Parts: sequence; C-alpha cells; structure tokens
Amino acid sequence: MNTLVKVARYHLVDRLQFLVLPVGVTLFAFLVNLTIFAVIPETPEENYSGGLFTLYVFMLVCGALSMTKSLPFGLALGVSRRSYYLGTILLVAGLAALYAVGIVVFQAIEEATGGWGVGLNYFRVPWLLNGPWYLTLLTSFVLLTLMFVYGMWYGLIYRRAAVVGVVLFAAAQVLVLVGGVLLLSWTDSWPKLGTFFSTLTVGGVTGVLALLVCVAGAGGFATMRRVTV
Amino acid sequence: MTPTISTTGLTRRYGDHLALGDVSVDIREGKITGLLGRNGAGKSTFLRIVTAQEFASTGSVRVFGENPVENERVLQRLVLVREDQQFPDFKVRHALSAASWFYPNWDAELADTLLRDFDLPTKRPIKKLSRGMRSALSITIGLAARAELTLLDEPYAGLDAVARQLFYDRLLDDYSAHPRTVLLSTHLIDEVADLLEHVVMIDKGRVVLDAPADELRGSAATVSGPATAVESFVAGRRVLHRRKIGSRASVTVADALDAAAKARAQALHLKLEPLSLQQLMVHTSNTGHPTAEEASA
Repeated sequence: MNTLVKVARYHLVDRLQFLVLPVGVTLFAFLVNLTIFAVIPETPEENYSGGLFTLYVFMLVCGALSMTKSLPFGLALGVSRRSYYLGTILLVAGLAALYAVGIVVFQAIEEATGGWGVGLNYFRVPWLLNGPWYLTLLTSFVLLTLMFVYGMWYGLIYRRAAVVGVVLFAAAQVLVLVGGVLLLSWTDSWPKLGTFFSTLTVGGVTGVLALLVCVAGAGGFATMRRVTV
Repeated sequence: MTPTISTTGLTRRYGDHLALGDVSVDIREGKITGLLGRNGAGKSTFLRIVTAQEFASTGSVRVFGENPVENERVLQRLVLVREDQQFPDFKVRHALSAASWFYPNWDAELADTLLRDFDLPTKRPIKKLSRGMRSALSITIGLAARAELTLLDEPYAGLDAVARQLFYDRLLDDYSAHPRTVLLSTHLIDEVADLLEHVVMIDKGRVVLDAPADELRGSAATVSGPATAVESFVAGRRVLHRRKIGSRASVTVADALDAAAKARAQALHLKLEPLSLQQLMVHTSNTGHPTAEEASA
C-alpha cells in the first residue's frame, strides 16, 4: 500500500471524527431546521436556513485535529512529515469530494420535493451554492478543501508555537487585511474594488478560493517541515 | 561495519538550556545498548533526534548510514517507544491496526501474545487506560514492530514489577529469536543491567561514559572495613567516594582490582564489593568521568 494512502487510512481508523460526526451533525441540524420550518405557519416562498455552514466549520476543526492530536503517533509510525502532510491532503480531497457530491444530491432532492414539502432550502446557499449542479459541486469541493487545509495550518502553528503562535498567526492575517485596506485607500482603488465585486461570478469566487487553498496548503507545508513532536 | 546510529558533535539547545552538548557516539549493530542517565539528562532528546521527531541545532546524525530527517528509507526500519507517546482518540485495537500497516515486519501473533500477557483491553479508548497500561501498549507496538532498530525510551513508566519483568523477558526472548539493534533508555539501571551489552551514559547533555557493560561491571569497587586498614588499601588508588562511620570506613575506588589486590584485601580483613552499574552511574553523575578525576576526601 502506498504511504500516502496509508496515512489517509490512518486518519480514518477512527471513523467518528471525519465521517460520522460531520455527516451526523449536518443531518441533525437539517432535521431540526425541517421541524421548525414545518411548524412555522407562514413563511415566504424561499427559505434559506444557512445550517449547511455546520459542515464547513466541522472541516476546519477536522483539519486542526489532524495536525495536532493525530500527528505524534502518525510521525511515530515511520512516516516523513512530507508523507504525513500529503497523505492528509489526500484524505481532504476524498472527503471534500464525497461531501460535495452529497450536497449536490441533497440539493436535487430538495428541488424535486419543493424544499422537503415545506419550502426549505437547506442545501442551497443563496448566490454561492445556487447555480447549476456542476458549479455547486466545484464550489463546494473547493470551499470544503479550503476550510480543512486552513484548519491544518492552524493546527500546525499550534503544534509549533502553542497558543501564542496561534494568536500571532491570526493577528498577522488581520494585519495583511489592514494592509490591503490601507493600500486600497492610498491608491484610491475603492471604486475598482466595488466594480470587482459587482462583476464577480460564482466561478470567479471559486477561482479565488482555489488560490487561497494553494496559499494555505503551501503555508501549512512550510510549517510542517519544522514541526517537532 | 557501519554503526546503526552514529552522531558527531550532536548539539541541541532550547533557548539557553543545553539539552545535548557535542554528543559523538556510535551505537553498534545487533547489540542491546543501555542509554543511561538521570531525569533531564538528554536521553529523550537524543532518541527524538535519532528518529527525526526533533531536529539537531548543530552536529550530524546518521542512522543506517543516512540522515534520518524526512528519510523514509531510514524511518521505516526503526521504531521508537516513547514514555510520553501521545495517541489520537483511538481505541487500543485502532492503534495496533494502524501500526500493523506501517511497520513492514509487524508480527500480529506477537502483538496478540503481548496483549494477553499484559491483560490489555483492546476495545478500551487509549485515553481511558492507566499509566501502566499505556506503557504496555507502547511496549507491545515497539516489540511487535520488530524493527531493525528498536528504541525504547523509559518504556515501563507506571508498570508494576511483574509487568516489568514480563517486558524484560519478552524483550530478551524476541531479541534472541530475531536479533536487532536495541537502544534502551532507562534510569532503573539495576533491573536492566543484565540485559545490557553496551552502556552509554549521558549527564547534563554530555556523554560521560561509553563502554562495553562487562568492562564497566568490574571497573569500580567498594572497600569497607576498619578505617586505618581501608585507608592503607586505597592509598594511591583513584577514590570516587568516601564514607566514614566511627572507626569504620567504606571507600569506593575506580580501579579494576586484580588477584593480588583481592588477596591483600582478604589479608586485611576488608570487604570488597564490585560496584553495580547503577551505583557507578550515581558516582559518575556526581563526579564527572569516573576515571578522569582524582577525588580527595
């Protein structure tokens, strides 16, 4: 068996964390939403609950756990940091694909049943996940991957520099954003940004998210190379 | 023959704390070597650097002749059992099946035997295990992995005397049947003294002793009896330790005592006792190198 596959399998030894909990909690939140929408007497035609957000938060947490709790024993199994990281990325790709397909399938059912009979749009997110199925599949996949990989980076920073490191890491990202805002102001580019957003398509956003996946992935990998257990 | 582990000038600093200072040592193939030293002497740091879990500040490490960092050719041939090994939210059987995929020489039969011997509940979550049971799990993985290089870092923490004996017996059995290189770090030296073929002793991050165990066993002795007789006997010898109670004295000398010395001790009615490895470590930690310094009372 290939080492990367073994690492992915290592994460799945405990199916609870990566499979049962994300799916279970998402479906649980769905049922709660369904119940509430079923008993609310009057609702507008289009209801978006936003409950699908749970799954994305879960991916973030799973990413962080894969690089904190699971790391020491993983590296004790004769695996290089590189293999451990790439094997985990393989797992991410698999999970994100699985869940993206799930979202598309549930969206189809949602549409066919007129929002589960009560006009609920649980698996359809306004604008972002509201287009043709292939675009939803792609955007879901990229966003789920981004959340997981971003979580991995946080986990690695925590491993490397504990809470102080995580706080500094978050602060550094805020500074980057502030820098961006200042740059926009100094160059009088706010109108341009407005135009950018007003012309932005879902496909374009997905592209930007994919770029962020690359940034987070590369940052995490660089951090991983110096991590000790 | 290339030593299994070879370090040159290996140094590791944490801030201004020196965990390992200029360690140059060879661990020979096919032997059980004891890595001895007090708590915080640098034993665990050494083992973690050898397995690339930690990085050296300066100096070099070669395992099977290669740099172990990010090198799976090396890493897959070794196993490290750590006293403080952290596990994910696994059950005992999860950890064992994961280990069985990664270690090429994994022996499932041996793992089962050890599980039974240690009475380990396979369905229990690892975080619910007692300290001793967690050690037993680590030992099971370490032995069943049957890696060419088996590194055991204080593997018996929390184990009772019976389980410790079981571990020593199993280690020796399996080592005899499947020879490999074993490096065992410990401070319970008396218990393992008979297992060891070679000894490396670390104190405050530095190697203070590196010799075959047999050589060390006869390298020092304690002479006790009437103070005047003891003093005349030890005159001119390297003294490690002196204790006087009333008219009686007990003096430890760093000398291999020959037949003539033994006969002389008998004539003076002195009691001669060879120093155990453990006592040797105590004296070495107190005085530096046992043969390098002339201690005076």
